[in-house]
Amino acid sequence: MAIIMAKQTLLYLLISVLAILSVICSLSFGAIDISFNTLIKWLLQSIGFSTDIELIEARIIEELRLPRLILAFLAGAGLSLAGAVLQMVTRNPLADPYLFGISSGASFGAVLIIALLSGYGAVWLDQDLMQLGITGGAFIGSALSVLLVLAFAGNGLQIERMLLAGVAVSFMFAAATSLVLYQIDAQAVSALLFWTMGSFTRANWDNLGMPVFIVLLCLTLFLGFSRQMRTALAGDENARSLGVEIHRLRISMLLLSSLMTAVLVANSGGIGFVGLMIPHIIRRVLQRFSRFFFFSCALFGGCFMVWIDVLARTLMDDQELPIGIITAAIGSFFFLVVLRQRTRRI
Amino acid sequence: MTIEHQAPLLQVNNISWSAEKRCILQNIQFSIEQGKFVGLIGPNGAGKSSLMRCLYGVNRPGRGQILFRGKDIWRCSAKENARKIAVILQEQSEHLGLSVYEVVALALTPHKKLFEWDSAEDHQRILEVLQEQDLLPFKDRLFAYLSGGEKQRVMLARAMLQGPELLIMDEPTNHLDVHYQLEVLQKVKREVRAGRLTVLASFHDLNLAAAFCDQIIVLQKGRITVHGSPAEVLTETMISEVFQTCAWVDQHPLDKHPRITYGYHHG
Repeated sequence: MAIIMAKQTLLYLLISVLAILSVICSLSFGAIDISFNTLIKWLLQSIGFSTDIELIEARIIEELRLPRLILAFLAGAGLSLAGAVLQMVTRNPLADPYLFGISSGASFGAVLIIALLSGYGAVWLDQDLMQLGITGGAFIGSALSVLLVLAFAGNGLQIERMLLAGVAVSFMFAAATSLVLYQIDAQAVSALLFWTMGSFTRANWDNLGMPVFIVLLCLTLFLGFSRQMRTALAGDENARSLGVEIHRLRISMLLLSSLMTAVLVANSGGIGFVGLMIPHIIRRVLQRFSRFFFFSCALFGGCFMVWIDVLARTLMDDQELPIGIITAAIGSFFFLVVLRQRTRRI
Repeated sequence: MTIEHQAPLLQVNNISWSAEKRCILQNIQFSIEQGKFVGLIGPNGAGKSSLMRCLYGVNRPGRGQILFRGKDIWRCSAKENARKIAVILQEQSEHLGLSVYEVVALALTPHKKLFEWDSAEDHQRILEVLQEQDLLPFKDRLFAYLSGGEKQRVMLARAMLQGPELLIMDEPTNHLDVHYQLEVLQKVKREVRAGRLTVLASFHDLNLAAAFCDQIIVLQKGRITVHGSPAEVLTETMISEVFQTCAWVDQHPLDKHPRITYGYHHG
């Protein structure tokens, strides 16, 4: 017990330090580097002191870097939570919103709505309504892919079958997405990159409300249902005999995760593997599914994504990398490690 | 005026259940009185596990009712049933990544509301049931890596913590060596004798059924053929008819229950 407590304290200390570091680095690195001094000045200014900060730097921080930081954090937190929940309710250690085709379903839904709206020249639609429509389309797409994966995987929730079904559904929707995008614009490469690889360049204050709301809502609900989800790990019959309406729990948690994934995809595109990695890492450190599990996933996942974004902005001199390239590079390696451990155990 | 009898703890009223259009259970009717240890025997494929699944809410009977203290269990929530009925399954799933402590702690699920965490008192109770099953040294080990017998003891600890009135056990001694077979059954029997528990357990080993059950139900091809005390049920004719096996039945030298001897090389 004491060891576990000490470990938890250590973990929280680490995450807090990481979080502060992430904020500083994320705000200062980019096309224009902003010095630590300037950041301090900006901080003082924003709490009411007058400083000699240059207007342009303050505006870069406030209008570009800060919303981007928040969106990256939310995306990391949300995708990690979604991954953790998928892993628990499908009892599949390799579950991830991207690998299960949920992200690509969401991308397809969003792109289809954009195509339809722009096809009908919906200039009269204001920005908020447009964003809501895209999010709605993304949710329908993601929910559809969850149901498809469950249907193809059949009864029994076999890990391999679900994974294969997920990959198939994911490819199917990815192909459909590219088709629609090239219908709208034959030079749609950058849009395609956004919807399949993800990016935080579209972050702005106006669009942050929805992701903040959904991620907080899902975190709260997941915390509430965490005991039931843990019971689901014991298998359907055991869970049922322990008083969990397992089918209802599975469907509702899957839909909730796909709603959250959809909102995040509508704002930052499809980003893979974060949902796979973070819950595994947290599980290793915490050892025991405590009440802190989801909370740590969100916090650590958020920080992780902020760092990935920093990397994406700074790895190449005059160009930004899509987020998904970096997460996939790290994540696929991680996937192989998990897979190897699994086969060794059998 | 009618005289009200106390309703039996569990009453199964004429249930039938079929899977893939094949009738597995037909017109099953029996009841279990409180404080009894009831055994369920029958050849492989007779429907023992299917019947038990009906009782703990996995198989929904196509016809008939299952009443627990007069209340239809299929009209109660799974949570409500789980506070009254605990189950030890025959085969244990992997319990993905859960430690022994965590598996036992799952017993608290039906007793907790959403957002309710384990208290220090819960932690203490979990340690106590682990101690009772000599599992304390295992508490941080992964459940998946335990031996069959250890898993079964973890399940017993979990069932005890769940605090049920009725305990359903599907082949409880399947993975256990002789020592733990007796120990597990003796522990459960003690609880039954003390009036704290009622048990329905399926057995393949007829001698164990004879030694521990107050009543035995024989299931054959989805129907109940015999139901009575061990002495009434476990006869040479029944064994030869139901199991197509030649056996001699006499009395156990120490206790009074039937003892079955098989003719391994004769008949």
